[in-house]
Amino acid sequence: MDKNLHLESVIKTHQITKEESLLIKHKDKNKEVKEALEGKYKENIYFLFNSGSYAKNTAINTKFDFDLVAPFKRNAFGSNGTLKEMYGDIYNFLYEKYKDVAEVKKQKVSIGLEFHADSDGDKIKIDVVAGRELNQDQYKKDENLNLYVYYKYGNIEAGSERIKTNVKAQISNIKDKATNEKDSIRKIIRLLKVWKITKYDYPTKSFFLELIILKAFDNKDITGSLWDKLKAVLEYIKDNVTKETFTLKDPGNSYNDLADTLTDTEKQNLSNDMKNMLDRIEENEENIRTYFPENTKFKEEENKNNRYQTNGGMPVPPPKINFG
Amino acid sequence: MLQERLIEVEETIRKITGVQITKSFEKNDVVIKGTIAVLVVGLSKELEFEVLIYPQYPFKSHEAETIKFFNEELLEYNHVMGDGSICIHTAHSPVLSQKLEYDIGSLKAWIKKYYIDRDIDMHYEHIIVPQKPFKNSHFAYFFNEVAYQFKKNQYGFVDYSQISNGIFYTEKITSSVIQNFKDKDGQPLVDVKWNVKLKAMAQSIGLFIFLEDAPMKNKRFAVGKWGELNPFLNQEFLSFLHSVEKKYDKNKNRYLPLFVGYKIAGNEIHWQAIMLEISQFPIYGLKESQKFITAINDEIKIDWAITKNCSYKYFFGRGKLHESITSSKILIIGVGAIGSITAKTLVRSGCTKIDLIDFDVKEPENICRSEYSFITGINDKTIDLLNDLFSVSPFLESNINGYDFSEGFNFYLKAFCKDETRKMEIENYLNQYDLIIDCSADNDLLFILSQFNLSGRMINLSISNHAKQLVCAVEKNRYDFVMNQYQNVLNFEVEDLYNPTGCWSPTFKASYNDINVLVQYAVKLINLKYFLHKGLLKNFVLETDTEDNFNIKLKEF
Repeated sequence: MDKNLHLESVIKTHQITKEESLLIKHKDKNKEVKEALEGKYKENIYFLFNSGSYAKNTAINTKFDFDLVAPFKRNAFGSNGTLKEMYGDIYNFLYEKYKDVAEVKKQKVSIGLEFHADSDGDKIKIDVVAGRELNQDQYKKDENLNLYVYYKYGNIEAGSERIKTNVKAQISNIKDKATNEKDSIRKIIRLLKVWKITKYDYPTKSFFLELIILKAFDNKDITGSLWDKLKAVLEYIKDNVTKETFTLKDPGNSYNDLADTLTDTEKQNLSNDMKNMLDRIEENEENIRTYFPENTKFKEEENKNNRYQTNGGMPVPPPKINFG
Repeated sequence: MLQERLIEVEETIRKITGVQITKSFEKNDVVIKGTIAVLVVGLSKELEFEVLIYPQYPFKSHEAETIKFFNEELLEYNHVMGDGSICIHTAHSPVLSQKLEYDIGSLKAWIKKYYIDRDIDMHYEHIIVPQKPFKNSHFAYFFNEVAYQFKKNQYGFVDYSQISNGIFYTEKITSSVIQNFKDKDGQPLVDVKWNVKLKAMAQSIGLFIFLEDAPMKNKRFAVGKWGELNPFLNQEFLSFLHSVEKKYDKNKNRYLPLFVGYKIAGNEIHWQAIMLEISQFPIYGLKESQKFITAINDEIKIDWAITKNCSYKYFFGRGKLHESITSSKILIIGVGAIGSITAKTLVRSGCTKIDLIDFDVKEPENICRSEYSFITGINDKTIDLLNDLFSVSPFLESNINGYDFSEGFNFYLKAFCKDETRKMEIENYLNQYDLIIDCSADNDLLFILSQFNLSGRMINLSISNHAKQLVCAVEKNRYDFVMNQYQNVLNFEVEDLYNPTGCWSPTFKASYNDINVLVQYAVKLINLKYFLHKGLLKNFVLETDTEDNFNIKLKEF
């Protein structure tokens, strides 16, 4: 098999534009939630904008949601208002508004809206990330926000009053790369997102993967075919993620170390997964299909070369080959 | 020959420091017998022991040493048996002189630890109850812990069920389980939990009294005569005994057990059983101050039976899987070779909540490589296997799903997998399980189940022809992984499938041993991952090769 052709097909079949109607539904719902928050918080809120994979052009179509950043003014919840109060107030508002049509969930640093399946069976997901400027009117100058941590997040304890971040800086982190490199980085981000979806309850955040891929490109000379580049990134993660000195700075706040979002066991597990992946693909390149499956929904009709053998013109069905 | 042994014994003992032969060793049939005096630091004077050396010496008889050191005056000390012999266990040696040095060394260690220092072991030692037959048969009673606080001198009835008749070495034995405790008026106090098969068994009546303190003498020996038990019993209970004997007067010469409860370490309750024969109760009426009281016939010996605490922690005390697995509610889909072996392994390893689904029927040709028995003939697989599993674990809780449920499950899942409402109903049903193990090798089912978003963990186990590989899929990509392994990655023979009837449904060739070795490896690995962190469990393949001996290679993905 040609690993590069397969990987290109994985990326192609996972393009978000393939799910046009689902994308439109997300955009519409995103607009509705945005307007609801603007209507509720009026002059206490700055312009809401999208972050996450859609904004960064790294989304895949098998699992996507919209991240809607809601930047609040310092005194939006009173001059003594806490981030916890901000988080609670927004949750209560969204819960009351959407409780009949969506599951409203408190998540690590965001509030998740998972709308019930529509008549097409589509579920729209919007994550609202509420942040507050550090000082009154400072957001206009520095675009920094403080986030509330709802529950334990790697080594960051629940109830931490603040994580300072700059979402716009996070978005431009990829956009500012050179065009060639940017395309490769985005492809590899998408591929590792596809891989992550194959896993059961995986603790590594997509943002973590995104940053470590960027770091691999910054630290290694990554060239060659798509597989060569992917392999180099996998090797980088395998060799570096468990190092004691390993850090993963949030481009939105260099004091945020994303390496802290995984425990040592989880880092070791990530490293082992990279090793297993490299070993298994080395042993038999067909294994690449297991780690990076195509989205069969959009897989172009393969040639008619199915697995049926022929016997004098009569098709011979393939035998059963796995047993219990 | 015996004379040579005798000389060697005496010569060896003479060389051991602190030991003197006080009565020469002599032949007594095939046994060598003599007396020694032992002095160790801390003793003001020697301790004397009669020594018996049996013909097998220096080899053991099963687990028992074939040398005995007796001193009946030491009965009250720990690790002294009822006949006054000191309980020692020493290292193996095929050389008589060396073994004798070990054994006398061990005797000296006993003197220091238990006679001089009066050491108390951290673990609880049960009181020693003689194991003698009652009316030519032994009786064994199994009890489980109950959520009930017995009060001192509380007495009443128990129901018990006889579960089997067997042979105890050379004599007959009957085993039973205690089913419940009732008060003196026959009102329920507490039920004893066992599986439904045991609970459904015919019940007989017994009695109980909770003494609180163990009925023992010399610290560790159960009292031998009713007169020795008398101080533990009050008049109210003796009157109760009298009333019971009167009530069951028509059942003359029938037996009933009296369970005697007391507290042991950790506030645990232990029960011993005494066999009573109706019309032969060890009591009589005694007129005292113009009133009849019930008195005890002091000289009658107590017929102790065997009891075993079969509560979960003792039943699985010797080994079980990790708590995160044993506490799981488990569904096994498909109980052919892999499924039945998995089910039995889980049940024997402490899992108690297991449901089975399989529409198939067990036939004689299934038996050679699965956990079924010939004796039950053709039978629904789930019913047949459950029946067997209930015989293994008294704690198994299972819905007896049977054919209709299994067939309905399969139909519902496949016919309605695209109907969102029905899909949600199926998800709700499956979400009651923490672990769903699909051993059906039904790839349609694997495909459909892969579309579900379940709260529990799904594990798919299947095997290739000749059991060359076992594929275990546990991640979200289970379907793609399994298909890719069998269709594109793994190498195995498909030309020589077993097809005795010439139909279009051949099966694989592999023996019980071929399959079981891989299933046990898989279960062990899953258990290890659950022990470390269940998030660490990944898809894996076990690949065997026999080119250079037999090897199993683990490939984690």
